[in-house]
Amino acid sequence: MADLAATTAAFGQLLHAAGVPVTPAACARFAQAVVLAAPTTLDELAWLGRTTLLTDRAQREVFDRVFDQVFRGLVDVADFRGQSSTPPPPASLPAGDRSPADPARDGEQTAAPQASDAAGASTDAAPEDDEPAVLAALSRDERLATTPFAACTPEELALIAALVERLPLVPPLRRVRRRRRDPRGSALDLRATLRASHRTAGDPVHRTYRRSTTRARRVVLLADVSGSMEPYARVYLHLARGAVRALGSEAFVFATRLTRLTRLLGEPTPDAAYARVAEAAPDWSGGTRIGDAVQTFVDDYGRRGMARGAVVVIVSDGWETGDPAVLGRAMAQLSRLAFHVIWVNPRKAARGYEPLVAGMGAALPYVDTFVSGHSLRALEEVLAAIASAAGDPAPPAVRGALAAPAARPATDVA
Amino acid sequence: MSLAELVPDPATLTAHLAQAGYLAGPGLAAALFCAVRLPQPLLLEGEAGVGKTQAAKSLAAVLDTPLIRLQCFEGIDAAEALYEWNYPRQLLGIRVAEARGAALDEASLFGPDYLIRRPLLAALEHPGPRPAVLLIDEVDRADEEFEAFLFELLAESTVTIPEIGTLAAITPPVVVLTSNRTRDLHDALKRRCLYHWIDYPPLDQAIAIVRARVPAAGAELTAQVAGAVGRLRGLDVQKPPGVAEAIDWVHAATLLGLDHLDEAAVDATLGSVLKYREDHDVARAQGLAWVAQG
Repeated sequence: MADLAATTAAFGQLLHAAGVPVTPAACARFAQAVVLAAPTTLDELAWLGRTTLLTDRAQREVFDRVFDQVFRGLVDVADFRGQSSTPPPPASLPAGDRSPADPARDGEQTAAPQASDAAGASTDAAPEDDEPAVLAALSRDERLATTPFAACTPEELALIAALVERLPLVPPLRRVRRRRRDPRGSALDLRATLRASHRTAGDPVHRTYRRSTTRARRVVLLADVSGSMEPYARVYLHLARGAVRALGSEAFVFATRLTRLTRLLGEPTPDAAYARVAEAAPDWSGGTRIGDAVQTFVDDYGRRGMARGAVVVIVSDGWETGDPAVLGRAMAQLSRLAFHVIWVNPRKAARGYEPLVAGMGAALPYVDTFVSGHSLRALEEVLAAIASAAGDPAPPAVRGALAAPAARPATDVA
Repeated sequence: MSLAELVPDPATLTAHLAQAGYLAGPGLAAALFCAVRLPQPLLLEGEAGVGKTQAAKSLAAVLDTPLIRLQCFEGIDAAEALYEWNYPRQLLGIRVAEARGAALDEASLFGPDYLIRRPLLAALEHPGPRPAVLLIDEVDRADEEFEAFLFELLAESTVTIPEIGTLAAITPPVVVLTSNRTRDLHDALKRRCLYHWIDYPPLDQAIAIVRARVPAAGAELTAQVAGAVGRLRGLDVQKPPGVAEAIDWVHAATLLGLDHLDEAAVDATLGSVLKYREDHDVARAQGLAWVAQG
């Protein structure tokens, strides 16, 4: 039995190193299950392992790889070719090999994460009283506040990024069915009233009331991180991190593929968070398939409930290399699921901009609020749009058909 | 027969489940085996209609114990899930005692007669010898406060009712939680549970499942429906049809007296398998004849 305990513990450690969080209690469960079931084939052993050690379907791939290595002695050579999309096998590569950026790109991309790391480290190490001074200076600096992010130097971007992470994202509220005891409420809390009436011989002299509570709506951020969105993506990543940590929002990035960042951004230190993001989303350059990304979001997350009644913010310039009709269909589905859709397009700030680009044109009918978000001031506009998001009066198809669409009252819950 | 004799290994459990009419894959059998024998709560996730709830029902049939079901919804609290005092009856008890002039002591007012047992308490009070199956359905619909309340119950299998005392489970139930993944469950809850994701079954297993559930249907119809459902899943539909939809389709076709699928038959029964207008359009655009025969 010592062998079994040691083996399961070591296997759990390897899984943990490969990215699947496994606790010692889970390893103990695995060992117990093996003793009870006495598996005779490796497949049976694998199923016992999957059910006792994993907590999510997405962890299966990593589990299968580690299991194959340990119990079948199989190692895939492709893992060592430095593809940063797959986490390395337990005999891990040094972290430097897995750089997300193509080294041939110019220094700005690698400089920016270092600058933000330095900013993160320095603002975290610096005493707290420095920060209000920095923030005050930034907001007073009219020039910096209105310069588009694309025109900022890396140092300015680092300062802006640190500030943006602390900007307050305030989503709209919605009523929740859970009721709380509250003297101001209008509904009688029958249970508590009857219970209290025991004290008064069965007469409900003391009455308690309940009222509905409100909760903030979920905010989902989908950020385009392809080449054309380069400087803006960095800033919005910081905004996403602030939102994820403060509000429990969801954050995704996409270029050719959609990647969910919510868990990664939740790391306590900024450097660790952005390092994990850089590993997980390797497609920082290359073409943009916005339609595919939005469709993936709707199919895999949105329809299940992440987008229901949520405020969805898409940050992209709309330059779609795929078929715009796909984006149109995906946006139609998203607009039916979400409470409010906000599209942030830095190109909108350019004088004389019209959404002629095919992707943008296909998506626009389903967007409730269209803002530019290209500078600090414009970012405040984005936050204001989130805070004041309201449900639509009627879906687009109906809106077109009706001559005078009936307006829903603003307090209606979507 | 004790649990260890009834369920000695996953293969035997698979055989018993098949007798009860549920065809489980090796992974699900391993998961149910661990849930029963370890014992640990089991979290089942999967698309709608793959058989999560049915797995718990069939497990209860195999163990020959009652299935106790708690359907979760947003705002569910301990009173609706665990227990509640029967206040109207207590008030009546007081009034009757007053009218009779008899003395009524507090202890009898809070006795077992006046306690309404909701599912969680009912599961704890099951006397055995084999554990009941407690199905907590769609736990992702409940909110975080309810999840926090569940930790304690899942960990200790005890419940404290202030007026009566602490009730410990005589035979701790086998707990099966299901989730549709509309939101992420709290990590602390997930770590306390075993986990299994139920995939859509492969074609031959799908045929076997439908035959087991609708024995009156013809073999050709069943095979055609299973194939058609697989083809529909490959299309770009909003809600890919699952096993439950395949069973509904076969029921509908049998009711209409059809013994095989052709374009007209699919046209008449498409509503039992695809539930969105857009999905109907996609299927028709692809060609109903292709859907029927491939």
